Amino acid sequence: MTTAIRTIETQVLAEGEWLSVTQVCRASQIDVAVVIELAELGLVCPRGTAPQDWQVSARELVRLRTAARLIRDLGVNVSGAALAVELLEARRDLETRLRALERCVQASAAGK
Amino acid sequence: MEFRDYYQTLGVKRGASADDIKKVYRRLARKYHPDVSKEPNAEAKFKEVQEAYEVLRDPEKRAAYDQLGPEMKSGQEFRPPPDWASGFEFRGRPQGGRGGPEVDEQFSDFFSSLFGGSGGFSQAGEGRARGGRDHHARVDIDLEEAFRGGARTLELRRPQHNPDGGTDLSTHAVKVTIPAGLTDGQQLRLAGQGEPGHGKGRAGDLYLEVHIRPHDLYHLEGRDVTVTLPLAPWEAALGATVTVPTLGGPVQMRIPEKSRAGQKLRLRGRGLPGDPPGDEYLQLSIALPPADSPKARAFYEQMSRELPFDPRAHFGS
Repeated sequence: MTTAIRTIETQVLAEGEWLSVTQVCRASQIDVAVVIELAELGLVCPRGTAPQDWQVSARELVRLRTAARLIRDLGVNVSGAALAVELLEARRDLETRLRALERCVQASAAGK
Repeated sequence: MEFRDYYQTLGVKRGASADDIKKVYRRLARKYHPDVSKEPNAEAKFKEVQEAYEVLRDPEKRAAYDQLGPEMKSGQEFRPPPDWASGFEFRGRPQGGRGGPEVDEQFSDFFSSLFGGSGGFSQAGEGRARGGRDHHARVDIDLEEAFRGGARTLELRRPQHNPDGGTDLSTHAVKVTIPAGLTDGQQLRLAGQGEPGHGKGRAGDLYLEVHIRPHDLYHLEGRDVTVTLPLAPWEAALGATVTVPTLGGPVQMRIPEKSRAGQKLRLRGRGLPGDPPGDEYLQLSIALPPADSPKARAFYEQMSRELPFDPRAHFGS
């Protein structure tokens, strides 16, 4: 087992960063046809004209990977995956808000 | 290594039909899929189910596995027999490598010892140049780390060809710079740190998805943080100067008079760094002093007599 530590250059994929459609397909292990379908459904909004020249926002890579996993692991179709991704995001958003509200209520109740 | 009873994992009989196995897998995958499941240990369970299905769905792998005999029990010490799988030829994932496992989705040593590597990987074309796959891993950091940034050493495991033609998992450590001001869900790309290329093919990249752990005090939204600030009723009514925590250290802040519970005050630029940096919001809540002494009770009684206050005025009469 190697234990030598190497320092690696990291590149932050910031919100404003764009990835080529080839990069995105490789990273999320999906076919460009699936990306096209997900774009038609509005789950991702690539920029550029022809699909082979598309660029996808780094922020949307997470969505694509989740959709890819759902399609691969659960056998749902593309529109089902798109729907699930949106609902999962909505659920996470609500859970975060709920936690914040609960904390606020607890702070008042505890009188601290 | 420990034997794994794949039939037990899926909860099916040894003689179960391919169709039944598929049905059960679908149900369990839906129940434990880490993206949708709320079950505890969903990820580990899902991996076990996937591994079991990977073997039982494939007639060749299943037949070879069945040769190990029904007397083997889960957890029992196991060594692959010397004549293991003679006459069988495994070709990795039947889907043709679509969706090979990710860094964090490796199958068990038991699986690797029987079927070599985690599927997909071992079927690379001999000597032909092929780019390595991209890998993904998740990194959890604390909010303080996201605020300050810093270096982080990660232990990465990846499959590697061994001279016998099988695959081993090798562990290597890399030091990664976490830049200040990362937000939850943001990705880092480490070029060339994914699966090594085959032949002259280039290595894949490693993507790290950064997750910021929930914090006791701060609630994070993008780069903005919110802190619940409890005030005594008189502080809210008359105004006060209070010390509040920020990610960069405590600061003094003026609370205006006539403040109400639920109001938000803003400390500009006190959230996570960035361009523009986030803000800190203080969500006001009013804490009631307990009436737990004669003196406190007397105060409340005096207020009730002398303050014309109806908290239910909006109910109408």
